[in-house]
Amino acid sequence: MFNGIWSTLVGLLIEDGQLAIGALVALAITWLLAAAGGNQTQQVVGWALLAMVLVLVVTNLYRAGVVARARISSVRR
Amino acid sequence: MDPLTLAIAATPSFVASAVEFVEATTIVLAVGVTRGWRAPLLGSAAATATLAVIIGTLGVAIVTVVPEHLLKGVVGTLLLLFGLRWLRKAILRFAGIVAIHDEELIYLRELAELREQGLRKNEFDWVGFLVAFKAVLLEGTEVAFIVIAFGAAGGAALGSAVAGAIVAGILVIALGVALQKPLTMVPENWLKFGVGAMLCSFGVFWFAESLGMEWPGDALSIPLIVATFLAASWLAVRMLKTLLPDGAQIEARNV
Repeated sequence: MFNGIWSTLVGLLIEDGQLAIGALVALAITWLLAAAGGNQTQQVVGWALLAMVLVLVVTNLYRAGVVARARISSVRR
Repeated sequence: MDPLTLAIAATPSFVASAVEFVEATTIVLAVGVTRGWRAPLLGSAAATATLAVIIGTLGVAIVTVVPEHLLKGVVGTLLLLFGLRWLRKAILRFAGIVAIHDEELIYLRELAELREQGLRKNEFDWVGFLVAFKAVLLEGTEVAFIVIAFGAAGGAALGSAVAGAIVAGILVIALGVALQKPLTMVPENWLKFGVGAMLCSFGVFWFAESLGMEWPGDALSIPLIVATFLAASWLAVRMLKTLLPDGAQIEARNV
């Protein structure tokens, strides 16, 4: 079981590290918004988190696509 | 709770657990077909008992000691992190950048490895026992995590999550026993795609709730959030196919 937990952690923090760090930053910003803002801000933090996560996913995958394309061109050369 | 409401509430846990059960069943089948059924069945039973003890002690302690808003915050964070990982991999597979997860290939590889290790007559098959034990314990831990995550709201939510996981387990194991082959007809990447979107959506929903937000229509917002994740994922697949029209088929860790 500990092997499984370990491989999941490694996967999360190393293989998908940038995505995990980005998600944690988005969660921290959401928490700060809710803590610093008033009641009205508190009622929209979920939508803000959703928007941040969607931008993060699309950006991360775009970067992954660019990296894969660069790897393929370097192998062909 | 009426049967229809229970079915709707149990669906996320059912789909997510089914993916894990397919993986465990594939490995247990490979051991049983090559080395006989006694050891893998005992290994599976021992793993199930170990899991029950872990969930019984840790699960009860978590639900009774940790305050609800803190539990929702922590579970929301974990769901979002795990969900994003599943979603990313599923999108990369759909775009052809990472190879599709092939249960048939895993099954054949497992068969070849087990045959290589051989088996003496009249000796308890410890290899078969341990391979099945490990597979059931690892995938079972993930099912337990899924059930605790989807049932974090307690009461009816927990009941629905447990029901979803149990039905998924019965269905997948029955299919495995009936076919005696890996469950290749289960479209695993589609399931992972949907489950990734659901885990992320529940993560966002609960994390915001833990901060005091009241979603419009409460849980009715979840389908809208899931749809938004699916739409963004579809856009990401299109974007990647434009970047790499012929795909790449490389290791996930290299992108």
